Amino acid sequence: MTTNGGDAVQVVPVRHVGRWIGAVVMVVLTAMLFHTLLFTSRFTWSIVFHYFGTSEIIQGVVKTLELTVLAMAIGIVLGVAIAIMRLSPNRLLSAPAWAYTWFFRGTPVYVQLLFWFNIAALFPQLSIGIPFVHAAFLRFNAGNFFTPFNAAFIGLGLNEAAYMSEIARSGLISVDEGQIEAASSLGMRRSQTLRLVVLPQAMRVIIPPTGNEVISMLKTTSLASAISVIETLGAAQNIYAANYEVMPLLITASLWYLVVTTVLSIGQFYLERHFAKGAHRTPPPTPIARLKADVRGIAGKFRTRRGVVAEVAA
Amino acid sequence: MSVVTSEATPMVEARGVCKSFAGVEVLKGVDLVVKRGEVTCLIGPSGSGKSTLLRCINHLEKHDAGELRVDGHLVGYEFRDGKLYERNDKQICAERAKIGMVFQRFNLFQHLTVLDNVTIGQVKVRRVANDQAAVRAKELLARVGLAGKEGAYPSQLSGGQQQRVAIARALAMEPKLMLFDEPTSALDPELVGEVLDVMKDLARSGMTMVVVTHEMGFAREVADTVYFLDHGVIEESGDPREVLTAPRSERLKGFLSKVL
Repeated sequence: MTTNGGDAVQVVPVRHVGRWIGAVVMVVLTAMLFHTLLFTSRFTWSIVFHYFGTSEIIQGVVKTLELTVLAMAIGIVLGVAIAIMRLSPNRLLSAPAWAYTWFFRGTPVYVQLLFWFNIAALFPQLSIGIPFVHAAFLRFNAGNFFTPFNAAFIGLGLNEAAYMSEIARSGLISVDEGQIEAASSLGMRRSQTLRLVVLPQAMRVIIPPTGNEVISMLKTTSLASAISVIETLGAAQNIYAANYEVMPLLITASLWYLVVTTVLSIGQFYLERHFAKGAHRTPPPTPIARLKADVRGIAGKFRTRRGVVAEVAA
Repeated sequence: MSVVTSEATPMVEARGVCKSFAGVEVLKGVDLVVKRGEVTCLIGPSGSGKSTLLRCINHLEKHDAGELRVDGHLVGYEFRDGKLYERNDKQICAERAKIGMVFQRFNLFQHLTVLDNVTIGQVKVRRVANDQAAVRAKELLARVGLAGKEGAYPSQLSGGQQQRVAIARALAMEPKLMLFDEPTSALDPELVGEVLDVMKDLARSGMTMVVVTHEMGFAREVADTVYFLDHGVIEESGDPREVLTAPRSERLKGFLSKVL
């Protein structure tokens, strides 16, 4: 800025030609997309929205949510336990933890689901008792226990634990050694240090990828339809098997996944904010606050564009 | 064998303490005596083993050889029937709870407020009731000049303020001994004074303190005894006015000429 005897001086902003071209291209492409969506008769939006609220689809969505919650619960609890084992100085704890991750991450989840679904072929009888001596407290029939639903959430959960253990491990090792020393110097036991000092701080690192895993799991549960669990996709398949409206029903199912994913993303944001306590001097703004700031910023830009006046330092 | 401790028993007593890390000998037979109510400063160049010695005292590091006693009790071991029994995790934690430690990098719990940093040890280790712990924490925060900062998180405080919270956190355990590991080395020069003032105040109140420091002014003013370590051995020790003003060994002369 140049001084001009203390008077206000006109400021000419830089012209962003590339941005304007990019914006025009995007507007045209977006218009094409909406045109296709609205005017391609075979999307038959009336069928999509008709089935969106039917009880079959809703029941399928409920099943999807049940599978997601149960599988993630197994995944998180087991995953954190495996991560803690993995970090143990005792090789007999860390080696099996490594082997678990190696096996469950190294085989396809679809194969694992089929395996649990057919486990009765391998072990017709399952029992809980004293190992090696055939003394059982509890016996049950594997075929009865591993119903499609049980096989699905157990299979998905055990597979997820392998991924969650890596996420939890990265979170645990991200906590500064000094925090552990400080806790020790106060006389905290190892378990207290882990629970009160390390895990709460590891959460900040663990939460974002875990949110990702939840969203990923929500969609992976659709594989359960292959072992005859009637979740969202299974319900849609059942309907189009009868009426041949394949595309509209696949869209119905996809819309439901999108709705739930959106809700989960919002939940993740607030969870991250909660666990970021103490990490930032000022907490990050909420999306609504950010939107308000954006609107103010754009409005401000238009004002300066018209006025194009800046105060000049004397 | 029961240990009878009396006023005459030193708070810390080291005899020929050795410690190696991966084959590197960091402490080569250190002797040290810290009497009750006295302030002892450990000085020396970096890598001389002074921090390691301090960390051995509360068993953050395990010494390899020699005898180390705190308040008459062996650190990390128990002598019974002619054998040394290694102490278990629970016993070691109980011992540590009575020794306060202040770190160079403060190591405040980042996810907790200032108040919770000072109450957590009281509540979870000493089993003090929440409200009592909070009252005690507020008293201590006032004592270190941080009344009104209870709700802040460590990241919102300056280094000097964080270190004073760390001192309050250690004092909340009502320790019989306080260890300071270069408490002002990570601070901006203008913040050093506020931390040293709190430590001087603590020394005047009769707290037994072992301080690893590069602050020669503090050592001269506050310490009852100064130990100069170099290459894992104590080169010189005694009254700070003698040791720091009239060093006998060439090494201490060389060290002092660099830091003063």
